[in-house]
Amino acid sequence: MAAMLQPQIILLKEGTDTSQGKAQLVSNINACTAVADMVRTTLGPRGMDKLIHDEKGNVTVSNDGATIMKLLDIVHPAAKILVDIAKSQDSEVGDGTTTVVLLAGEFLKEAKPLIEDGVHPQNLIRSYRTACYLAIEKIKELAVSIEGKSLEEKKSLLAKCAATTLSSKLIGGEKEFFASMVVDAVITIGNDDRLNMIGIKKVPGGNMRDSFLVNGVAFKKTFSYAGFEQQPKKFLNPKILLLNIELELKSEKENAEIRLSDPSQYQSIVDAEWNIIYDKLDKCVKSGAKVVLSRLAIGDLATQYFADRDIFCAGRVAEEDLHRVAAAAGGTIQTSVNNIIDEVLGTCGIFEERQVGNERFNIFSGCPSGRTATLVLRGGADQFIEEAERSLHDAIMIVRRALKNSTVVAGGGAIDMEISRYLRQHACTIAGKSQLFINSYAKALEVIPRQLCDNAGFDATDVLNKLRQKHALPSGEGAPYGVDINSGGIADSFANFVWEPSVVKINAINAATEAACLILSVDETVRNPKSESAQGEAAANAMAGRGRGGGFPGRGRGMRRR
Amino acid sequence: MALAFDEFGRPFIIIKEQEQKTRLRGIEAQKANISAGKAVARILRTSLGPKGMDKMLQSPDGDVTITNDGATILEQMDVDNQIAKLMVELSRSQDYEIGDGTTGVVVMAGALLEQAEWLLERGIHPIRIAEGYEMASRIAVEHLERIAQRFDFGPTNIEPLVQTCMTTLSSKIVNRCKCALAEISVKAVLSVADLERKDVNLDLIKVEGKVGGKLEDTELIYGITVDKDMSHPQMPKKIEDAKIAILTCPFEPPKPKTKHKVEIDTVEKFQTLRQQEQKYFDDMVQKCKDVGATLVICQWGFDDEANHLLMHRNLPAVRWVGGVELELIAIATGGRIVPRFQELTPEKLGRAGLVREKSFGTTKDKMLYIEHCANSRAVTIFIRGGNKMMIEETKRSIHDALCVARNLIRNNSIVYGGGSAEISCSVAVETAADKYPGVEQYAIRAFADALDAIPMALAENSGLQPIETLSAVKSQQIKENNPHFGIDCNDVGTNDMCEQNVFETLIGKQQQILLATQVVKMILKIDDVISPSYY
Repeated sequence: MAAMLQPQIILLKEGTDTSQGKAQLVSNINACTAVADMVRTTLGPRGMDKLIHDEKGNVTVSNDGATIMKLLDIVHPAAKILVDIAKSQDSEVGDGTTTVVLLAGEFLKEAKPLIEDGVHPQNLIRSYRTACYLAIEKIKELAVSIEGKSLEEKKSLLAKCAATTLSSKLIGGEKEFFASMVVDAVITIGNDDRLNMIGIKKVPGGNMRDSFLVNGVAFKKTFSYAGFEQQPKKFLNPKILLLNIELELKSEKENAEIRLSDPSQYQSIVDAEWNIIYDKLDKCVKSGAKVVLSRLAIGDLATQYFADRDIFCAGRVAEEDLHRVAAAAGGTIQTSVNNIIDEVLGTCGIFEERQVGNERFNIFSGCPSGRTATLVLRGGADQFIEEAERSLHDAIMIVRRALKNSTVVAGGGAIDMEISRYLRQHACTIAGKSQLFINSYAKALEVIPRQLCDNAGFDATDVLNKLRQKHALPSGEGAPYGVDINSGGIADSFANFVWEPSVVKINAINAATEAACLILSVDETVRNPKSESAQGEAAANAMAGRGRGGGFPGRGRGMRRR
Repeated sequence: MALAFDEFGRPFIIIKEQEQKTRLRGIEAQKANISAGKAVARILRTSLGPKGMDKMLQSPDGDVTITNDGATILEQMDVDNQIAKLMVELSRSQDYEIGDGTTGVVVMAGALLEQAEWLLERGIHPIRIAEGYEMASRIAVEHLERIAQRFDFGPTNIEPLVQTCMTTLSSKIVNRCKCALAEISVKAVLSVADLERKDVNLDLIKVEGKVGGKLEDTELIYGITVDKDMSHPQMPKKIEDAKIAILTCPFEPPKPKTKHKVEIDTVEKFQTLRQQEQKYFDDMVQKCKDVGATLVICQWGFDDEANHLLMHRNLPAVRWVGGVELELIAIATGGRIVPRFQELTPEKLGRAGLVREKSFGTTKDKMLYIEHCANSRAVTIFIRGGNKMMIEETKRSIHDALCVARNLIRNNSIVYGGGSAEISCSVAVETAADKYPGVEQYAIRAFADALDAIPMALAENSGLQPIETLSAVKSQQIKENNPHFGIDCNDVGTNDMCEQNVFETLIGKQQQILLATQVVKMILKIDDVISPSYY
């Protein structure tokens, strides 16, 4: 009753939800594990895809961890951290997004019993950090450099890396085909940081093998006016003029008005307008260009004018395509047709309009600078091509990373097993609590080979035991052994060319450890009540409140609605 | 949706609006997806083959479509299920790429899914099934290449092309005069084809239809038809050796695009303006006359006064011709599109041997024929038929036939139809299956069984005993080692498709197998479906 006498101090606004202490920590861990469980089955070459609808009826079929996490629309504050690390892995290295979520989930899962037993989270964090540092050192030590090889050799090595990434994707069946395509594309654009120089175009229809790589630029035929079909559709070594102006008969100034008092002047005004556009067109023609592209519209008058003079034109070209043409052909985009000198014109080996599936494509190939590439993807369904694009994006990123930072490690869970073994060994040399923690970190790393087996339907315990035995061999020859996905046994991943760039693994372990430590260091969540303006999202919040507040009513209501 | 529990055992929310989402996972998701895919395939199954039936589809606003073209049926069905949508896209991409075989590809995919269901029940991992299918599809495609035959054709020898197009048309409602239609299609394609580049731009073939007359009246016009008539009823209806001026400017006084105002404050000024206007009309007509044009085709309208003047000066004219038609006319007649009168020159005129207006039946419908053009790179197929639905379906059938002819120009290999290619592949895949170690062997064998689904459906639709017929044909193929035996759908009396002249294009068949496998893999690979529960 003392509380009655003493006035209660109200610190937080009414409706604020706070929870704290060990129990809060455990519940955060539970949330993260639940999220990790969702992407668990997508790992590895036998991983499955997820089909996700959203409210607007958009459908995505994907195997890419980052894409799935993004689409799940996670609201739990702790679980959101996992979404962030998946995203950061995606932007940093492009691949391994499922791995990073899985690892973070597993680190937390291992920490849970320890926390429940009363270990101070800071102790755990410190040991995890040490383990992470050691693991990364070990990866660097184990990594094999592919530097100093000839271009041909390097190409085939890079293709191996790309193939490993692609093997888990929908287009895994044609991984060699796509891997070499990706490597060619990346090598074409060179070392610069110009990822947007690789264009990916999607054309439904055809099968995967009909996809092709253009050493140059390709884009879909733009909207055209009458007269377009009379233009020539193929040039050898044409000069290309790139514009950012409208070539149309229109009023030059929007709000100008002409007042005539003498009707005989009427014709002169009409003529003046025509002269403006003819003057522009004439300048384009005089420049000697055979292909005229513009980001803005090229009207019917201009189309016919060019057709008369055997010039090809395309208006409303997407900006990125235009930039790509500029980079490939070596021209510059002009905002005026005055003073067009030869230097601003680009050129290319062959320009051609070609039929691809149901579309006609403008293809520029054999460009002098050769710093662009376009992948034209074909496939049976829109979703198929979408997923193929995401997969190729991953592969492109991997190859780029491998090219810059050219060390690779054995995949298929081999590197994870080796680090795990190393950490266990190291733990034995430590006296004190962290021995235990580093051991659990080591155990968590085994999740990768275990999940690979689970997804493929093998007996994970059996395979893992074999792997542990192999890795524990004192000679160290067992280090590159990983899961053999085809037979259900173990195999030398390195010899089987299951390679990953080491930077992917380093980044994944780093990010996962960071995320785990971050979640472990939180012991209180304060959730502010929704502000008035956020009432728009009322339905969800009301449900959320009820869900937290009183057992199952939220769920019950959901059932009744059906 | 799976729920997580906090320290007090209360469930808490991880995903936004978690309760409103449903989640299917694991084998359940796969089963649901497979049955959706199968349901779509079942709908199309009865449309396969020369004895296949048509579907009648009514759109929300009451339009009725009767068709037997797989892609069109699925397009109009407006399916909602995601997996079913994948099947629709499958059929559409076959349509885009090949143009024919849109029903077959869906039936094939359905059969593959059905087989996969069996294997899943036996506990085989879905991805291994998919991989097995992929291996099998490669075997089948290679086998097709082996049994394919090349044939030569030229502008003079079009018989093989016609035969292949006839196979396509025989399953359509128009099979009554498939021979004539096939010939029309082939001739049309050949006249626009670029045989050296092996490129055919189907945009140059215009397919027009008009209700009335008989299907047999369908004709190929080396030139263009326009659904317009002369601007003045008294203008001549027939012009020989026409010189055509193709204009994109109206017969009106030109207007500046900038906002303008003419201020008139005296009567004299008004008079001048009036005179000027008249002079404009006069000039325009005169210019057309001067360059020697005998026909004017204009994208825009005429002022009444201009119309009168044109009539007066004996210069026939057509107005309000659409941009696409204008372009085709320009291509066909070799003329240039002229944006204003000042630029008319004799060189820019198009030439056509004969321009005539033709009226149909008792109705006042008139069409303008522009024939015997300088350059016959643009042609028109003009379809007649009893009713609108018939014409629409004929258009679709002709489109299929055109695509087949185009594909043959690109690649002149053919395989034999009537399910013979599938049976032959099935035998080849079956034999190859035993060489593969591992679980994939089962999937490969299942693929062989799925290939049998197409001849089976053909037999069923033709009213034959499916299993009996299939096994008889299969044993005949193996015994005589001849891949030309198929299902005798038309009861001709022979199983040899070579004798029956039933051909299909090699690339079409290969594409069917590859596309179906690809989509089936995609469906099998999904093990988790998260969707808002109101679906």
